[in-house]
Amino acid sequence: MNRWNYILMRLLQAFFTFFIIMFLVFMLIRLLPGDPASAILGDRATEADVARINAKLGLDKPLPEQFAIFVGNFFHGELGDSISFKIPVMRLIWQRVPVTIFLATYAAVLAVLIAVPLAFVAALRRGSAVDNAIRAVFQVGLSLPTFFVGLVLLTVLGAQLGLFPIGGYGTTFGQHLYYLFLPALTLGFNLAAVLMRNLRAAIIEVLTAEYVDFARAKGLRNRVVLSKHVLRNALISTVTLLGLNVGALLGGAVITETVFAIPGVGRLMVEAIYGRDYAVIQALTLTFAIMVFAAFLITDLVYAQLDPRVEMA
Amino acid sequence: MNQLCSSTERRGTRLSTLLGLIVLVALLLQACAAPAAAPTQSGAAVATESAAAAPAGAPVSGGTLRYGRYADSLFLDPVLNDANLDIWVLNSLYDTLLQSTLDGQGIEPMLAEKYEMSADGLAMTLTLRPEIKFADGSPITPDDVKWSLDRARNPDNGIWTFSLESVDSVETLGDNQVVLKLKRPDPALPAALAMFNSAIMPQKLFEAMPGATDEEKATAFQEKIVGSGPFMLKEWQRGNFMLLERNPYYWAKDENGMQLPYLDAVRFEIIPEDATRILKLQGGEIDGAEFIPLSRAAELKADPNLKMELFPSTKVNSILVNNRSTLTDGSANPLSDVRVRQALNHATDKDALIQVVTYGAGTPEGSFMSASTPLYAAQAMYPYDVEKAKTLLKDAGFEQGFDVSVLAIAGSADDSALLTALQQMWAAVGVNLKIELVDAATRTARYRANDFQMRTSAWTNDINDPSQITSYFAIFKTVESLHTGFQDAELEQLFDDSQKELDPAKRAEQYKRIQEIYAAAAPIIFLYETPYPVALRSNVNGFYQIPLGQNLFSKAYLAK
Repeated sequence: MNRWNYILMRLLQAFFTFFIIMFLVFMLIRLLPGDPASAILGDRATEADVARINAKLGLDKPLPEQFAIFVGNFFHGELGDSISFKIPVMRLIWQRVPVTIFLATYAAVLAVLIAVPLAFVAALRRGSAVDNAIRAVFQVGLSLPTFFVGLVLLTVLGAQLGLFPIGGYGTTFGQHLYYLFLPALTLGFNLAAVLMRNLRAAIIEVLTAEYVDFARAKGLRNRVVLSKHVLRNALISTVTLLGLNVGALLGGAVITETVFAIPGVGRLMVEAIYGRDYAVIQALTLTFAIMVFAAFLITDLVYAQLDPRVEMA
Repeated sequence: MNQLCSSTERRGTRLSTLLGLIVLVALLLQACAAPAAAPTQSGAAVATESAAAAPAGAPVSGGTLRYGRYADSLFLDPVLNDANLDIWVLNSLYDTLLQSTLDGQGIEPMLAEKYEMSADGLAMTLTLRPEIKFADGSPITPDDVKWSLDRARNPDNGIWTFSLESVDSVETLGDNQVVLKLKRPDPALPAALAMFNSAIMPQKLFEAMPGATDEEKATAFQEKIVGSGPFMLKEWQRGNFMLLERNPYYWAKDENGMQLPYLDAVRFEIIPEDATRILKLQGGEIDGAEFIPLSRAAELKADPNLKMELFPSTKVNSILVNNRSTLTDGSANPLSDVRVRQALNHATDKDALIQVVTYGAGTPEGSFMSASTPLYAAQAMYPYDVEKAKTLLKDAGFEQGFDVSVLAIAGSADDSALLTALQQMWAAVGVNLKIELVDAATRTARYRANDFQMRTSAWTNDINDPSQITSYFAIFKTVESLHTGFQDAELEQLFDDSQKELDPAKRAEQYKRIQEIYAAAAPIIFLYETPYPVALRSNVNGFYQIPLGQNLFSKAYLAK
């Protein structure tokens, strides 16, 4: 089938998945101990205050009725107001989603920029000291928690050497690139480690393939062999890995956004959960689901692009 | 084949290449970001020339103070807000008729230049200052004052209406006076008129906002705040930053006649992670940071570029105890016996806790309210005495000790340090403390349902009067004495009397007795008071955080 039909079919499948996700999240957060009124009012809340807020939010109705109202509103384009901030949820998310997308994309790009050349070096010099050094560095990096790596980078490269600003987001595109370099590096490093190992193994395998020998026998220069034949084939499994890890990137963004004071949706999600801000949690879950869906779809499309043998069915 | 493609670099220089690459990238990116805020680079080790010796000479007008907060405000309406995060910022946007003195003990004029109480205590007349204006230049009139106070005391409007409960009606008088007629004499009324919810707001602008309910209008007004305070809200990106600019129509001047506020602007930056906030301060990217963990106070104090302030506060830390005879699961509660509670207080070494948890910054509690609360009266309290504790437990029939659980916030370093220390201290008298870690919303839900035995708790006053903290801690009908279940008839009678007592000496006597009764009954485990820890760059002068918690920026300035 052609590409557009394929995308359409994926979208239809996605709606079904989204519905199930929304239903599950809707029920789960209401079953958690604690409620928005308690979270907002804190320990000084009187029973009267709490009852008033719960009634206003419609939380005293039975669960199925609440879900029906929610679905009804959704199809009118109404995602509700944030319980903590009292502004429309969409406005809150709209401001912050681009930040997280920027961060996650930047992290993925950096991860690839780091992983690909190093994987090549490691694979081509397999077994040498360089190969071992590269793999050791990544092994250590994988074992260190994101939080720790972030703080170390901030302290050394930010505070002590003064090369990068300490946290924040900036206002222009250029500033975003500058301010987000350290957080993207922190976030992307684990991913780079995973990608590097996978790509290195794939390159090693591909290097011994018949078509590579054939290409060399044809007289092609080494550079062409490596880029056109080896890299392209080895990238296939790496692209898949990258796509599958988008969820992990979004999860890691939560910690990174907190450490580096970045106003993204990862942090917003955690704050919303602690604050039992049901409307924000629901809307953000949907947002994340859409982002992951988009990432999977793009991965599949790129995969098909890279490997002409793959058909979109 | 082992050849790489045509580049000239070979083996052995990978690491230095990588490092060089990072520096190169940094410089390139710095170039991209050039036009706007390039951070001032001063690592902690490098002392800057002027900063260290900043003389507190003449205040300087101008500049933007960048202040790091740990979380963002939620709802900037004086009446409908629910959180300290809002309260401690609202005073920069709105003035009240009266204001607290810096030491938190008294009340002085603000928008009202004087006030008089009638002889029978049932009417208060306030005279407004001449020529006071809102941030858009329109005059602040008695109608605005009446409307603001009526809105604040409307029982449907939020959780702070109790402060003006004694007011029967608000009337305007002439073009610069307002009269409050009271249902009963109210000694706390001046303090109530200094509380954030009595902020003076522009009636016509607020009512012109779209929306059917007061809350809808307040939500809309938040985006276009026109206030009566030293600053105006210029821009607010939630979770990111808030920019306040000087109100050009502000009434106040300093002692030398210089216009206040000194600053052109205050920029709040939201930096939830403590370590990051401190790094930014040390790097000079922000000029002040709140909520410094006390474990780092000594380190920042030693930094020549910084001032580590520990502002006296109304913050009291205690362990709330369920005094009821049975718990929600039906089991018997040993803590219902006053001797058991007194024993636990004796078994608690407060001085040691102050060292371990607050790194010496705390002071032991002398009562359930902080020493900076008006009418505070220090009590004998419970000196650390393990033998006395054991005797009391034996008298109560618990010579073998017992198990008790405490609800704590998962991830809170303070709770962790405090409760593990208490575990050890109480083990010495046979009491086995079990720590239950939950998140804040869960704890609040269980606590409100009285489903707890003990929990950690911190309290700051919202008003410069002891009535609020007393009604929450000691009066059953408010919130069941902070859900401890404590109730004392004599105390409640004293409290009711004190709510109408205009003679300061008599009222002080009543509160002295209230605090005596409470201390003897030991409904809670008394711990310590802690200050507000704020770190500032050395060139920041005139900033103050009052005991109630409000941040005062109107007299702050950045010395050259």
